[in-house]
Amino acid sequence: MSIPGEGLAKGLAVTLKTMTRRSHTQQYPDVAPELPPRSRGVIALLAENCTVCMLCARECPDWCIYIDSHKEEVAVPGAARPRQRNVLDRFDIDFSLCMYCGICIEVCPFDALYWSPEFEYAEYDIRDLLHDKEHLGEWMATVPPPPAHDPNGEPAKEEAAARKAAAPPATDQPSSGPPNARRRPGSGSRTDEEPP
Amino acid sequence: MAGMTADTGALRELTVGTGAGLDTADMVLNIGPQHPSTHGVLRLKLVLDGERVIACEPIVGYMHRGAEKLFEVRDYRQIIVLANRHDWLSAFSNELGVVLAVERMMGMEVPERAVWLRTALAELNRVLNHLMFLGSYPLEIGAITPMFYAFRERETLQAVMEEVSGGRMHYMFNRVGGLKEEVPAGWTGRVRAAIGEVRRRLPDLDNLIRRNDIFLARTVGVGVLSAADAAAYGASGPVARASGLDLDLRRDEPYLAYGSLEVPVVTRSAGDCHSRFEVLLDQVYVSLDLAERCLDQVDRISGPVNVRLPKVVKAPEGHTYAWTENPLGINGYYLVSRGDKTPWRMKLRTASYANVQALATLLPGSLVPDLIAILGSMFFVVGDIDK
Repeated sequence: MSIPGEGLAKGLAVTLKTMTRRSHTQQYPDVAPELPPRSRGVIALLAENCTVCMLCARECPDWCIYIDSHKEEVAVPGAARPRQRNVLDRFDIDFSLCMYCGICIEVCPFDALYWSPEFEYAEYDIRDLLHDKEHLGEWMATVPPPPAHDPNGEPAKEEAAARKAAAPPATDQPSSGPPNARRRPGSGSRTDEEPP
Repeated sequence: MAGMTADTGALRELTVGTGAGLDTADMVLNIGPQHPSTHGVLRLKLVLDGERVIACEPIVGYMHRGAEKLFEVRDYRQIIVLANRHDWLSAFSNELGVVLAVERMMGMEVPERAVWLRTALAELNRVLNHLMFLGSYPLEIGAITPMFYAFRERETLQAVMEEVSGGRMHYMFNRVGGLKEEVPAGWTGRVRAAIGEVRRRLPDLDNLIRRNDIFLARTVGVGVLSAADAAAYGASGPVARASGLDLDLRRDEPYLAYGSLEVPVVTRSAGDCHSRFEVLLDQVYVSLDLAERCLDQVDRISGPVNVRLPKVVKAPEGHTYAWTENPLGINGYYLVSRGDKTPWRMKLRTASYANVQALATLLPGSLVPDLIAILGSMFFVVGDIDK
């Protein structure tokens, strides 16, 4: 059927061929890997957008989000009564429990949570993996703009909302790329969720 | 145990040691739970007669994480998180089974674009899974090099999987009613390039190991599983097809878009370790072709990739059984709902669990050095056995 050792020779030929090629080694600590924008590295928090609705903490499959808040009265000039609003005291994500599923980010109705591809936050002590509000906020700087959708599919809901807002009387802001100041999904009119 | 001659009342004699008698006691040897060749925590209780295995009892459960029980207290989106973890090498296919079951219960129509995308991603996941075993199996029996080639190809495909889903293992990209989100612009082109590259370089892996004389000596005729035994133990997937059990749900009971694709089913008849390996290797070529054909469709079909879901997804009261051809074999999902937002029961039928059962007949009669070759060729993931 075949000469003995033919298989070995073929294998060695592959090795020889590969020897002449460039290696595929990634020089990781020296060269940072190029990660796609959707990479699920760490969760960033935009605390100003958070309204303490607790959806993320409730939907988290392993309950690794801890939220504390208190109510504060804000006197609105001209209004008869002072308004109440929630103030976020504590927003911790325990990354030693997190399963990186992204459900919290998906359910957040006010776009306060984002994925960042940053992954270098290993710690010597497991307790240090609990990132508090400030730590989570620092990740915001590393959040990349989302990739454009395939033209065959539906545009991103943010894109659709921006187009809708921009279309009728072209007075509002022009739709410029991935909108950073996002709105509530579904609401066409301008409803700023940020506290005054 | 100390070998000694005891004489207590009734005549009882136990002789152990050289020259002490003609009979020798069989040795009971534990392979695992912690053993490098079990890639996980599978324990095999072997009874050895010298170098020969005379009985084998796979003891499973060391990695039981109660996935099925946890499903009962998770809503259908949260279940996907857990479902893609029991068999960590075929996360996408696992998610798929769950959502297919829920969608069937809810009578949901999944957009065509999502169906084709799912099929493409499932096939890519199959390639990733197979490449893992194509690298690790030779490694287990002493050939280190193929691992590097397999991982080079894996990395190429991981890149496109990561680009679309954000994850490298636990994709979390399926949702009830479709996919999480639309793919990025230009992604299908990059997948095609990745597939092309893998297809071009796969002969390296093929030439390196498939007909390697040492590899052949270790695997041909070793661990022969007959088709009847494979069927009796409920083995499926590449393991069963290597024994000539021509069963592939993608062709025999099509789900997703497999109905409109022609799925070539790779089979062998020898049923030994080498044919199991060959089935895996040839399936990679098939899956790459299938994924490419799905991408052609994805580029042709426009529209949404998911449906608008109610705020709370509840499967209506009833039960259903969905099964899919996972990379390692048939995975079944028996979903019983009482109309709540969590399933009342979700039973998993996992491929690895059924496949390792065959070890009880496969191993007796083989030599200890062949044991690792046979064990590795059953292509199981311990998480998938223990759930």
